[in-house]
Amino acid sequence: MRDCENIRESIGSWLDGELSAAESESVRSHLASCTDCGEAQRRLERMHLALKAALTSQAPQIEFTSFWRGVERRINEKRTWYEDLLDGSRRLFTAPRVAWMVPAVIGLLLVLISMDFVPFRGSRNSFASVESIDAYGRSVALLRQPETRTTVIWLYQDQEGENETAEDPAKSAPTF
Amino acid sequence: MELNDWELVQKCQAGEMSAFQELVSRYHQKVYMVILGLLRNREDALEVAQETFFRAYRKIKSFQGGSSFYTWIYRIAVNLSIDAQRRQKRNPLDFRESMDGLLETQNEVARDPFSDVHDRELRETLLKAINDLTPEHKAVIVLRTIEGLSYKDIGEILGCSEGTVMSRLHYARKKLHDKLSAFL
Amino acid sequence: MRLLKTLRNRLRLFSLILVLVAGWVGAAEKNPQSVQVRIRTILAGSKSDEFDPKLKDMERQLKPLKYRSYRSLKDDTQSVPWQGTGSFDIPGGRSLTVAPQEFQNNRVSLKVRLTEGAKPELDTTVGIQNKGNFILGGPPHEGGTLVLSISATAQ
Repeated sequence: MRDCENIRESIGSWLDGELSAAESESVRSHLASCTDCGEAQRRLERMHLALKAALTSQAPQIEFTSFWRGVERRINEKRTWYEDLLDGSRRLFTAPRVAWMVPAVIGLLLVLISMDFVPFRGSRNSFASVESIDAYGRSVALLRQPETRTTVIWLYQDQEGENETAEDPAKSAPTF
Repeated sequence: MELNDWELVQKCQAGEMSAFQELVSRYHQKVYMVILGLLRNREDALEVAQETFFRAYRKIKSFQGGSSFYTWIYRIAVNLSIDAQRRQKRNPLDFRESMDGLLETQNEVARDPFSDVHDRELRETLLKAINDLTPEHKAVIVLRTIEGLSYKDIGEILGCSEGTVMSRLHYARKKLHDKLSAFL
Repeated sequence: MRLLKTLRNRLRLFSLILVLVAGWVGAAEKNPQSVQVRIRTILAGSKSDEFDPKLKDMERQLKPLKYRSYRSLKDDTQSVPWQGTGSFDIPGGRSLTVAPQEFQNNRVSLKVRLTEGAKPELDTTVGIQNKGNFILGGPPHEGGTLVLSISATAQ
């Protein structure tokens, strides 16, 4: 025996004729014996009648000839390609099911970029931190390239003690 | 002998404009009624109804007959109406004015079952309550109430399952019932 | 009201997804097994105008050094375990030893030693961004100057 709450949830579908034969019979027999549920059924029927009257009573009869002229005018009117694109994209970006995908896709892209699955120019390097440096008595310069955020450690050569000399001696440390 | 919808569609796909005109004459009133139920504004409903058939004409070659023509045309109509409703909601003042205008012109309609004050109040409350539903819930109420379509057909039009149609109808009716309890 | 509730719910769901993904990324970060160390040995010179196409991806990093030519001499990659060492031969009798120390906040800490034969020339401890690099330059070689690009990727 179905309880009243279950039955009341099914009254609408029963009135619509959308229940199976067994379910329909179950609802019908309960309504016949339960005063409260019977009253709920009557209220729903009254609401349905009021709804139908409200929605259909004001609808005028549309004169076909002028209606068809309006449709024909649209068919014969040339639409620009961007009007079509706008129509299509408006639906795509405002439909709620799709609209919420937009921030989700942006979020996913951000995650993928941070994981470097999606190459993103300029995002890979950042300045290296030099915690210690020992050039064994030689001069060393620590430089930073701002555009590429690259750290450069430049080792000067002690020219007195070196056997190998470049034709162009090692330049002074590059400047940026 | 009268051609059925699919035969008319095929003629239309072959380029016969008269076949399309016949389809429009069969469904223009029904489509208009559904759209009016959703938009509650006659001018907007007329615009959207004409746009519906225009879009159908442009897409007729892609119609394969998998669904019936009327569920296909209703789908276009409901989608365009939902878009129009969203635009209406962004301009609430325009909508309010059109609602007022619609209620004022009720007196012009010859056949008005809501003759007394109580019934007029019920209708106003009902229309407002329907308008407070989401576009998706409004669509199921309108399609079921005005056209008496099955849950299967409504599901095809809205692109959802019969179960979803059932639960949306149940939710919408409950919402409407709560707002109308004093009148029922 | 409904819109606000819908937006709130979507934001909650979206945040939950983001947190789960961030957690997964974080978990992946905590346990890298080894470090892939790549040493690119480049000869920078001032005699000719030549830019080795193999170094195209490093062009922006090398140009500021203001040499006229850049040629790729070697490109070596080794997988080096944490706290282990990897040795790389550098042209001209030099050697570069790299010892990955730790991985934290997406940064790899490396101890690096450059030697010429048996003689150390430079010791440094550097923290670089995972998959990033730093440049070590200056030693002369064959009329030009050696420029080393040292990069590390935690695996």
